[in-house]
Amino acid sequence: MSEPEGRGVAWTEERGTSDEGRRRLKRPAGERGPAVSGALAECVGVTRRFGRSIAVDGVDLRVDSGEVVGLLGANGAGKTTLIRMLLGLLQVSEGEVRLFGEPPSRRTRQRIGYLPQTLGLYDDLTAAENLAFSAAVFGGDTSRALPAALRPYGRRLVGDLPLGVQRRVAFAEALAHRPDLLILDEPTSGVDPLARARLWETIGETAAAGAGVLVTTHYMDEAGECGRLVIMADGRVVSRGTAAEITGDARVTVVETDAWARAFGVLEAAGLRAALVGRTLRVPGAPPDVVRRALGGMDARVSEAPMTLEERFSQITSSISRTEEVG
Amino acid sequence: MWAMIVKEFRQLRRDRRTLAMMIVMPVILLIVFGYAASFDVSTISTVVAGPQARATVLRAPFDVVQREPAEGASWARTQLRDGRAAVAVVTGTPAAVFIDGSQLFTARAALTALANMQRQAGPLASAGTAGAPGSAGTAGASAGTAGARAPEVTVLYNPGLKTAAVMIPGLAGVVLVFVGTIITSLGVVRERQSGTLEQLAVMPLRPRDVFLGKIAPYFAVAVLDLAIVIAVGVAVFGVPFRGSLGVFALGALLFLFVTLGLGVLISSVSENQGQAIQLSVMIMLPQVLLSGLIFPLSSIAVGVRWISYLLPLTYFNEISRGVMLRAEPIGPLWPPFVFLALLGLVVVTLATLRFRAYLAPATPGRGRRTPAAPRGLATTAAGTALHGGAGAGEAR
Amino acid sequence: MSGGGTVSSDQAVSGDWWGTDAVSVWYGKVLALDRVTFRAAAGQVSAVVGGDGAGRTTLLRCLAGALAASDGEIRRPAARRIGYQPAGSGTYPDLTVAQNLAFRAAVYGVSAAGSGADYLERAGLAAARDRLAGRLSGGMRQKLGVIAAMLHQPALLVLDEPTTGVDPVSRIELWSLIARAAADGAAVVLATSYLDEAERASHVLALDAGRELAAGTPQQIVASMPGTVRVMDARPAGDEARRAWRRNARWQVWAPDGRAPADGEPVQPDLQDAVTVAALARELAMSGNRQ
Repeated sequence: MSEPEGRGVAWTEERGTSDEGRRRLKRPAGERGPAVSGALAECVGVTRRFGRSIAVDGVDLRVDSGEVVGLLGANGAGKTTLIRMLLGLLQVSEGEVRLFGEPPSRRTRQRIGYLPQTLGLYDDLTAAENLAFSAAVFGGDTSRALPAALRPYGRRLVGDLPLGVQRRVAFAEALAHRPDLLILDEPTSGVDPLARARLWETIGETAAAGAGVLVTTHYMDEAGECGRLVIMADGRVVSRGTAAEITGDARVTVVETDAWARAFGVLEAAGLRAALVGRTLRVPGAPPDVVRRALGGMDARVSEAPMTLEERFSQITSSISRTEEVG
Repeated sequence: MWAMIVKEFRQLRRDRRTLAMMIVMPVILLIVFGYAASFDVSTISTVVAGPQARATVLRAPFDVVQREPAEGASWARTQLRDGRAAVAVVTGTPAAVFIDGSQLFTARAALTALANMQRQAGPLASAGTAGAPGSAGTAGASAGTAGARAPEVTVLYNPGLKTAAVMIPGLAGVVLVFVGTIITSLGVVRERQSGTLEQLAVMPLRPRDVFLGKIAPYFAVAVLDLAIVIAVGVAVFGVPFRGSLGVFALGALLFLFVTLGLGVLISSVSENQGQAIQLSVMIMLPQVLLSGLIFPLSSIAVGVRWISYLLPLTYFNEISRGVMLRAEPIGPLWPPFVFLALLGLVVVTLATLRFRAYLAPATPGRGRRTPAAPRGLATTAAGTALHGGAGAGEAR
Repeated sequence: MSGGGTVSSDQAVSGDWWGTDAVSVWYGKVLALDRVTFRAAAGQVSAVVGGDGAGRTTLLRCLAGALAASDGEIRRPAARRIGYQPAGSGTYPDLTVAQNLAFRAAVYGVSAAGSGADYLERAGLAAARDRLAGRLSGGMRQKLGVIAAMLHQPALLVLDEPTTGVDPVSRIELWSLIARAAADGAAVVLATSYLDEAERASHVLALDAGRELAAGTPQQIVASMPGTVRVMDARPAGDEARRAWRRNARWQVWAPDGRAPADGEPVQPDLQDAVTVAALARELAMSGNRQ
C-alpha cells in the first residue's frame, strides 16, 4: 500500500496551533498564497549526515517563481534526501531550508505540490476518492478536483488503472490545491514520448502561471525543458547552470566503422570507455589522436562532435570518486 | 482528520481479507468458547474386564463401551494404551481401576467421580453396584459390602497428572504447523513479491525442482524445531518418550507434508506477505483451539466437534500423545495415519499443480492473475515499469 | 482462439532470427498484442519502445517463454540458451551480488567464476561482491540483473526496461554490457522508454496499445515519417494545435502533407519525433473515425 510521502508525516508543528489557527490554515479553494518576493524554496549550505556518512554536503539551491529547475544526479547522489529536507520530512544537520521565506512547517506544506516517484496514490481507493482525500487535507475544492479528461476513470480503483493514467491522476492530485511550489520526483519515468510531452505541457503551464517547479529526471532531453539545471554527485552540487553552460564546448570523439564490435573491444581493452550509438562509437574524454592510436590500423573514420548533455553529465559525475556509489 | 477517517473506512471496506478476519475471527472464538471450550468432561469411555464384567453397572460420567468377562488386567491396560477407553475396570477383589493419565481432564474427572462414589456409597462392593446415592439397590449392596475393600486406582502414563506431559507432545504439532504453514507461505510469497518467480519460469528448471527446493529448508527447520521441542520436553520437563521413535517420526513426516503443502497453497493465493500471514493465522487458530490441544475433544459439543475432525493437528496430537506417553504401536494408530496420508496427498498434489501453473508459460485468455512486480519496491526502476494491477483487465 | 505455435531449437545459427510472427495475446477480453511481428537477429541489439500498456512487457515475456501466445508463431531457442531480465531488476534482494550470480550459474550449468568476475569488474561492481543486492542503488542493481541474465552466454537475451529510472552514468555502463553481449553473438532484445537509446539499436519496434506503430532501423523509421516537423516558440492555435506537442520548452508541429506555413523553423526529425508523429497520427485517425 503506497503511503503518500509528506502527508501527515512528521510535519514541523507550528507553535500554539489553536482551532482558530487550524481553520486559518485551510485556504479557500483556488486562491494562491500571497506572492512571495523572495525565493519560493531556498537551501543554504544544507548538510545532512546519517551516522558517519554524509548524504548531502553543503548544498545551495534556489527555486524562484515561474522557473523550472532540474535536479540531476545518480541514485544515491542525495537528491531524494535533499527533497525530503525541503519538504520538512527530515531535519537538516547543518544549514538552512526556507520555503516561502520561512522554515518548513504545516503551513508551507500546504502550498507545495509533491509528486513522489511512487506516485503516492492509494491503490484500493478510486481516483475520485484519492483526490477527495487530498482535497480535504489540503483545503482544495473537491468538486472540481478531477480534470475532465480523467473523469471516466474517476470511479475505478487506482490499482486497476494503467500506469499512464495513474500518473495523470497523481499529477492532478498534486496540482489540485494550486500549489506555489511543485516538487516532482521523476515524473515521466517509463512514459512514452507523446504522453511525456503532454505532462510537460502541464508543468510548463503551471510555471507560466507563477509557480516554481523543482523536478528530478533521468531523461537528458527533458533537461532542455528546465530553465536551470543543478547536478549533484556524492551529496554535493558539482555543476549548475543552463544546459548550454554546463556542456560548454566540450567535445567527444566519434568513431564510424563497419567493424564496430571489434573497435568497441579494442577501445575497451585500451581503457577507453565507448558508448554505442547505432553502429557509431562515441568516446568522451579522449581526443581523436588518442583514439586513433588505440585503434591502430583499423579502418575507421575518427572525428569530433560536440558533447551531449548526457555525456557531459556522466563525465562530470564519474570524475567524482566512483566507488562511492552507495545503495 | 475527518478526511482521514473517511479514507480509512473506504479502504477497509474493500479489504476483504481483513474484513473476513475481523468478522470471522470473533465468530470462531465465540463458537469455540461457547460450545467447545470446556474442561468439563461429561462422558468417560470405560471398559470393564473380569468375571463380573457383565454385572457391573457404572453410572455417569462413566460410559461403558465394552465388557469382556474373559479378559483381565493386561487386556484392560492395552485398551488404554491404544486409546480405546479412558478408564478400565477389572473386577475382582479388590477391583482394579486403571485411568489413562495422558488424557488429563478426563483422568481428573474420573478420579473425582470415583472419589465421590466412594464417599457417597460407602466402600465399593467388589461385586456390587456403584451408583448414585439413594438408589434402592445400594442399601442392600452396602449392607453386603460392609468390610469389602476399596478398588485400587492406578493412573497410568502420567501418574502425577502433570500438564507439561500432555502439552508438550501437542506443542510438537503446533511447532510443525507454525513452520510448515506460516513460514513456508512467507517464503514462497517473497518470491512472488520480488518479481523473481517469473524468471524462474523462464529458467531451465523443472517445476518439481523449484517446488522441492523451495520447501526443503523449511522442512529441515521444522524437523530441527521438532527435535528441540522433544529434547527439551524430555530433558527439562521430564516428559516421557516411551514409544517407538520410528512411528513418531513417520507421523511427523506425514503431518509435515500436510502443513508444508498448506503453506504453499496459502502462498499461491496471497499476493504479499501480509495476506499470507492473515490466511495462515486463520488456519492456525482453529487448530490450536479445536484440535484437542487445550480443550479435550470429548468436552467439545458434538455440533462443533466435526470441525475438529477436519483439522490435521487433531490427528497428529493423537499420534504424538499416544506414542510419547502410552507407547502406542502403529497398529491402533491407523486412523490418524491414514487420514494424514490422504490429506497430505491431496494437499501436496494441489500445491504442486498450482506451482506448476506458475512456472509453465502462462496461457493468457484465462484471465489468470499474472505475477507482477510490486510498485514501490524502493528502487527507482521497479516502481515505474510494472504495476500490481496486471491481470485479467490489463494489457502490458 | 487457437494456441500459438512455438519453434525452439538448440542451435543458434548465425544469420538466423528469433522473434514472433503475427503474434496475438489476449488477457481475458483485453487484446494485449495484436498480430505483432518482430525479428531479432543474432549479434544485434533490437529495441522495443512504447508507453505503458503498449504491450512491451507482454511481447518480451512471449519471447522469453514466460507467456504463451493466443495466436501466431514464436521462435526462440531452448530455455538454456535464453537469458531474461524481467522489469524490476530480477535479482534477489536478500542475496549478495556473488550469491545471485552463483545461483544463476548453477541453474544454467556454467561457472560463475570466469565471465562473471569479468562482467562485475567492467560494470564497477567488483567492490560490491559481498553486498546484499537489496542494498545496491537502482543503477547498480540493474547492472547486476543484466549480468545475471547474460552470464551463461545466451543466444537470446531479453531485457525488460533495464535502464528505466537509472541515472545516465549507470545507463552508459549498462549499454556497454549490452553491447558486449551483442558483440559476443547474442540476439539482444530490450524494452526501453528512452528514444535516444533506441536510436543506438539496429532495429526498433514501436508499439502502441498492442499494435505495431513503427518498425525498422532507426533511420528507416525516421525516413518513413510522413510530412515534416517544424518547431515554434509558442503553441500554435486552431487546427494545428492538435498536431503539436511540447519538446524542450518549445512546440513541435507536424504537417502531414509537408505543406508548412512560413512561421517556425524546420527540424530534422529524430526517432523520438518520428515515433511521436506516428502516435499522433494514430490518435487523430481514431478520433476522426469516432466523429
